[in-house]
Amino acid sequence: MEDYRENKKIKFRFGNDHILYTDCFPNTIMTLEDGKESTRVSAEMVSNIPRPLFCDLTNVVKMTQDCRRHFAGPEHARTFSKCALIITSPISKIIGNFFLGLNKPLKPTRLFTDKEEALTWLKEDSADQDVAKSIMMAV
Amino acid sequence: MIGRMAALDFSQVITTSDENDMIDAIALGLNMLGEELNSNVVERSKLDTVNRKLEKFAYTTAHDLKSPLNAISGLINLIEFSNESGQAEEVKEYIGLLKATTEKMKGLVHGILEYSKTDADHIEKNELDLNIVLKEVIEVDQLTSVADIKIVGALPTVVFNRSALEQVIRNLLNNAVKHATEEICQIVIRSRDKGDCYQLSVTDNGPGIAPQYHEKIFELFHTGEHDAIADSHGIGLATVKNILESFGERVWVESTIGKGATFYFTLRKRS
Repeated sequence: MEDYRENKKIKFRFGNDHILYTDCFPNTIMTLEDGKESTRVSAEMVSNIPRPLFCDLTNVVKMTQDCRRHFAGPEHARTFSKCALIITSPISKIIGNFFLGLNKPLKPTRLFTDKEEALTWLKEDSADQDVAKSIMMAV
Repeated sequence: MIGRMAALDFSQVITTSDENDMIDAIALGLNMLGEELNSNVVERSKLDTVNRKLEKFAYTTAHDLKSPLNAISGLINLIEFSNESGQAEEVKEYIGLLKATTEKMKGLVHGILEYSKTDADHIEKNELDLNIVLKEVIEVDQLTSVADIKIVGALPTVVFNRSALEQVIRNLLNNAVKHATEEICQIVIRSRDKGDCYQLSVTDNGPGIAPQYHEKIFELFHTGEHDAIADSHGIGLATVKNILESFGERVWVESTIGKGATFYFTLRKRS
């Protein structure tokens, strides 16, 4: 069953495909506080099981240094298995590249301008993981 | 902005608009780059300070360990010579001196270890009743057998690390005892509420400290005339300063020759 939540800045959706989708409201400035809150909500929605993360940065106009460091750190890494960052605006492209290049997130993270490509990549290993889980449960 | 960056000034920030276009993206990129470079410069500056401290520490440690090591080497040669020439009494004497020198060295190494521990980043802080901490230090070190210690008024509860605070109190009290010249070493401990912190004082009836040494006595391995008599390595007060300053506190001394010394230090109040 799908789960949806939102706060003043971020929208969260945990889909039936077991992917966590996040998106921001227009002209969002992300601070460390927002980052920590995002981690908290994400952890709750995925029941503390790391899931693929589809994160649309298009509407983010600024992300503080502390916030980027937090998202690249171990606390946030516990909430996702891999992350596709959607960067379709000029500013989000800069933020995405800084995040990947300078902050070096702990889990596999890729930048995409095409949402379908992002979803394909996210579903790649998770399909294998779901099969493995079913086999384990059957045994 | 580029010009300022070249001069390692990363304070300037370019204003961006709401257009979210390429110009805004470039401006944001430059601002983010400035931030990252500034962080690196700050980290580098901290590292340079730590490296300079380490170099000085390594030099003074090696320098001060050399002296007892030379003494040990000399004594062994004397023992060897006396043993060969059958001078048993002298051998006994030299062995006694050798033991004393190795104890001194152990003390020095122990002091260095204590000093090194004070730079640890992950130090836990708790609320501590100073009356209890002080009483425990006095009992464990059996200080009442060597000094008359008086506490004026009740001491407060503070926020600090227990072992670090014990070390501070221990070193200050032992410093007073070591340098005592009167028949009875008298120590008076007081506390004053200074609004945002407490100011503790430890006053002794020792020989006093000349003004030109008021800063130097807190330097690592500094030993003055009285330290040689007191068998001091010059680590205790340096450790006190290191501990207190690493917690953002202060320590200083007020003293004149012949009129004892009062060591003051601050401790944060509980939140």
